[in-house]
Amino acid sequence: MSASSTSPTFRHLLFVLLTLGGIYHAAPWPTVQAVLNAFLVLGLAPEFRSPLVGAFWSAAAGWVLEGTMRAYPHLGGTALGNLTVTLLAVWVLAQWPPSQRKAFWARLAALAVVHALLVHLAVRLACGPHSWGSGWLWTLLTVPLWGTVAFKLHQPLYRR
Amino acid sequence: MRERPWGWNPSGRRRWGITVLFVGHVGWVFLGQGSAVRWQNLLGILSRPSQAVSARIEGWKHARGQRIGDHARAWAEIQVLRQRVEYLQSAAIQDAQRRVEADEAVRLLGLKQLLPLETRGARIIANLRRAPFGGMVLDHGEDAGIVPDQGIISPEGVVGRVWSVVHKQASVLPLDSFNASTAVMLARSRATGVLQGVGPGRAEIRYVSSQEVVQVGEPVYTSGLDRVFPRGLLVGYVSAVKPRDVELGLEVTLAAPLDRLHLVLLLSPNPPMQVQPPSEPVATLRKRSEK
Repeated sequence: MSASSTSPTFRHLLFVLLTLGGIYHAAPWPTVQAVLNAFLVLGLAPEFRSPLVGAFWSAAAGWVLEGTMRAYPHLGGTALGNLTVTLLAVWVLAQWPPSQRKAFWARLAALAVVHALLVHLAVRLACGPHSWGSGWLWTLLTVPLWGTVAFKLHQPLYRR
Repeated sequence: MRERPWGWNPSGRRRWGITVLFVGHVGWVFLGQGSAVRWQNLLGILSRPSQAVSARIEGWKHARGQRIGDHARAWAEIQVLRQRVEYLQSAAIQDAQRRVEADEAVRLLGLKQLLPLETRGARIIANLRRAPFGGMVLDHGEDAGIVPDQGIISPEGVVGRVWSVVHKQASVLPLDSFNASTAVMLARSRATGVLQGVGPGRAEIRYVSSQEVVQVGEPVYTSGLDRVFPRGLLVGYVSAVKPRDVELGLEVTLAAPLDRLHLVLLLSPNPPMQVQPPSEPVATLRKRSEK
């Protein structure tokens, strides 16, 4: 991923804001929050030309999710997991640019598993044992949905 | 000139930014352990619209679940009631025959109390009047002391007479049989004649002079001359009057519903020709006998 340009496109930014708003307003439905969070972290944030911007939005999504979920006594774990996985996804995108949609889905699924594990590890470090819920399962099941949206709306850098 | 990776250039600043962001979060997670109450309260205030929408959706779901539960309970109750109605209907069908017989028995008992004759109740166990050479079969026979030519009556009217008797059964010759003859008289003219059966539920009176004045609808009673029935038992009603040369052709519709009878009364053999019906109600007679 090139670092020559730091300004994201307006459409990309609008999409991220909408997803972040979705995470915020979907507080009563944690499953929907988990899916939107994974979409932002794995599908949208890595597509920013600047990994710093992507990491920032990713961390913001984590803070919003934890803050609205009101399930943890200490926050920050989800944000740390989010930005770590976003940086990992940026690196993976730069190393192996996707060329086919299904391959992209597979990569997103693998990254979703890593994301779930990292987030839960970070949350455990931040605030101790907690319930896992079924968000990770719905995230995996809906990879073809949000993965296709991410693949179509935001072309990888090598295709721009 | 090549840029230094961690220098103060765009790429270096980005690296520093990412590092600060990451390290800041790691430090917060491992070392900070700060309270989340303020941040959660802030987001909680901002998320009130979505919570209101959520509350409405949850309320709708709850109401819907309640409606579905009510509907399911109502449906189950309907099924139970339907089964109960079916059970009651089948029970009513099963009890209908018994109710008819019970009503008949009550009326028969009333008749028995009104008649100053020795009578015996009997059940019709087979009614084969419509079959060729058919008749009715009673559940009593020689074992109960029944003999041929005992008169048989019902609350509605005269039925016929005992035709033949075996050990535990007796066959009945109904009034409408072709070979049945009964001494009768007309209610108004007191003219006597012989009733002969002509078909199901019908009979005709023979040997009534053509000079007699008979009206359609006139009751026909037993005359007592055949010593099978006492005088005055209702037989039927005149349904047609056909004047002929010597005698009147009188058609009679029988009063007793011969097809629907289940219980009958057997009169004693050779009853008196004339019996006096009680002039006082049966209840009064009973009280007097108790005294």
